[in-house]
Amino acid sequence: MNSATRIAKEEWRQWLRSRLAVLSLIVFTVLLFFTTVLTTLDMQEARHKRLHQQEQAEETFLNQPDRHPHRMVHYGHYVFRTPPPLAMFDPGVDAVTGQSIFLEGHRQNSAMFADARAKARTGGFGGLTPAKLYYLFLPLLIIALGHGVILREREARTLGPLLSQGVSGERLYRGKLLALAILIGLLSLPALFSSIAASVLGESPLASVMLYLGNVLYLSVWTALTLCVSIITRSRGVALGVLTAFWVVTILVIPRVGVTSASATLPTEGKILTDMRMNDDLRKLGDGHNAADPAFAKLRANLLAQYNVERVEDLPVNFRGIVASKSETDLTQTLNAYAEKRMQRERAQAVHLAAYGWLSPYLAIGGASRNLAGTDLETHHRFLREAEAIRYEFVQGLNKAHIEKLSYIDDINRNKGEEGWKRARVDAANWQVLNDFRFTPDQAVDRLSRATSKLVSLLLWFIALLGIGLIAARRLTP
Amino acid sequence: MTAIAINDLFVNRNGTEVLQGISFTVETGSVYALLGGNGAGKSTTLLTLLGFLSPHGGSVTVLDMDVTKQIDRLRRQIAYLPEAATLYPHLNAYENLEYFLDLAGMKTTQTQLDTTLDEVGLQAESRSRHMDNYSKGMRQKVAIALAILRETPVLLLDEPTSGLDPVAIDEFNALVRNLAELGKTILMVTHDVYGACQIADRIGLLRRGQLVGSFNAIEGEQIKTDLVHAAFAERANN
Repeated sequence: MNSATRIAKEEWRQWLRSRLAVLSLIVFTVLLFFTTVLTTLDMQEARHKRLHQQEQAEETFLNQPDRHPHRMVHYGHYVFRTPPPLAMFDPGVDAVTGQSIFLEGHRQNSAMFADARAKARTGGFGGLTPAKLYYLFLPLLIIALGHGVILREREARTLGPLLSQGVSGERLYRGKLLALAILIGLLSLPALFSSIAASVLGESPLASVMLYLGNVLYLSVWTALTLCVSIITRSRGVALGVLTAFWVVTILVIPRVGVTSASATLPTEGKILTDMRMNDDLRKLGDGHNAADPAFAKLRANLLAQYNVERVEDLPVNFRGIVASKSETDLTQTLNAYAEKRMQRERAQAVHLAAYGWLSPYLAIGGASRNLAGTDLETHHRFLREAEAIRYEFVQGLNKAHIEKLSYIDDINRNKGEEGWKRARVDAANWQVLNDFRFTPDQAVDRLSRATSKLVSLLLWFIALLGIGLIAARRLTP
Repeated sequence: MTAIAINDLFVNRNGTEVLQGISFTVETGSVYALLGGNGAGKSTTLLTLLGFLSPHGGSVTVLDMDVTKQIDRLRRQIAYLPEAATLYPHLNAYENLEYFLDLAGMKTTQTQLDTTLDEVGLQAESRSRHMDNYSKGMRQKVAIALAILRETPVLLLDEPTSGLDPVAIDEFNALVRNLAELGKTILMVTHDVYGACQIADRIGLLRRGQLVGSFNAIEGEQIKTDLVHAAFAERANN
């Protein structure tokens, strides 16, 4: 057994003989175990439920009887964002952004059913996930167990005999580092379990492995920092104070400052104001339900000229359907412009906040973890875009049926008795315009590329702290 | 034969010249006591011998090795007992000894451990108890046992009898004398004049970083009184 291993073994013996250390280890192990199991079950249930709901929504839409096509436009459809397998470790924005959208004509609805609203009723504790436990609380365990690894030798006056019998500061450092590395390795087992389980459920091994390694890297940063402080400071009280202050600043203060700074530097317009401006713009486009709206006069004139007829009743296509289709196109462009602007602003704020990750390992790992798990803001935006694409596609598909399968005369006479209502229906086979929607995260390589800068910042933190620790260890004196 | 040779040694600590050109030698198999009051430079001398402080003038050799150049090799030849040696409180005497010896790359048998602990006078029933239950004298015995087991030719003791009761001091002094007779070279720093005279072959008197006197301990009882006055004159005058 080499000296580093022997020192590490001795450190573990000390921890296992300390009631406080054993109690802390038991509490964290139990907490990690239950949080991992519960979040895994929770996410699995959500995954199955949303997949089932998606299938059900599609089935319900497709099973609608013969109807007027525009009624189907308003009947609408639901899309669900199925959580990716790694959400069992880090559900990310899933809990706050909503997970399903009601799609209908002329509107872009917000995502709804955000879990955070439901969990707020349980005091927020229901939101404890493995990622939160690892990123927020495990550093505290590392601080509690690690702050004294060198200082205890100094305070017990065993440092002098150790160093004077030829155990160099560097060897001591390696031994203590090994002890803490074993601790991290053991505490990371639930994260490893999540990664393996996610891969079994279809997640890319690259994303799973990188998420696991990112987590280990983050804990290594805390280990290197704790060891560094244990070498440099002269009393356990000071070391504990310094490390706790670092925890408070990097985990509580910097993220808050980052969010405030992002909001102040890149302010977003309030939803009410945006909606009012957007509605003004939409009104200018005309009412797609009203074919006589002056906004469509030019369209009417062009069509009449194109088909060389005098009245819309004589057109070979349903003019009301064409108006609905044109209106949907114009309206979607406006809606998309507003949505893109909002998403770009949110993205810019996220980038602004991510820059604070160079100052806070917590922010860096949080961002990288959501990127790799496929539960980040970018993924949510892609969900919104894909949902919008499917909305536009099926609405226009129905408008096409409106144009081609329903005559203008039948359409305008739809409210004239039972017969008029019956004649204004099209065959239910036309509802097949709806495509299947299965939301999946980006390719692992793309997710990794988004996480790279954050992982690099963690790596630099680790290398810098390791370097400082090694230099301090080489100069270690009793 | 000279085991430790300090020649015109200057050492700075935190901008203060703590040792100002001290010189003395310690012969192999002898006990040298370095006496002095607080801040005289006693511990600085030991830390320099261990290579933890670098001299900015003069030379220090132990067993013909220059401490500034061959410290890694040299540390394997030195056992150091800091003031109030506590060792690891959560370990018993055996575990402490095994750990330190493991790190020194030495393997010992249970019989060797027991023989050595017998030699230093640690009661058999205490050996399996955690050291947080040990008295200071008992801890000193384990520390000495470690030095014996490591078979180092040189022992550096920092205030070894401070805080010990008279019986423990007598036992400790006897132990140190015994080690010297076995050929170990012992340098101890202390402010216990009477204890030093009892066991040291030679006594150096350190004041304000300078060696103001050097005596053979057997030069008579009068010397003790003189030493007290010489070493602690400043305190007496204050």
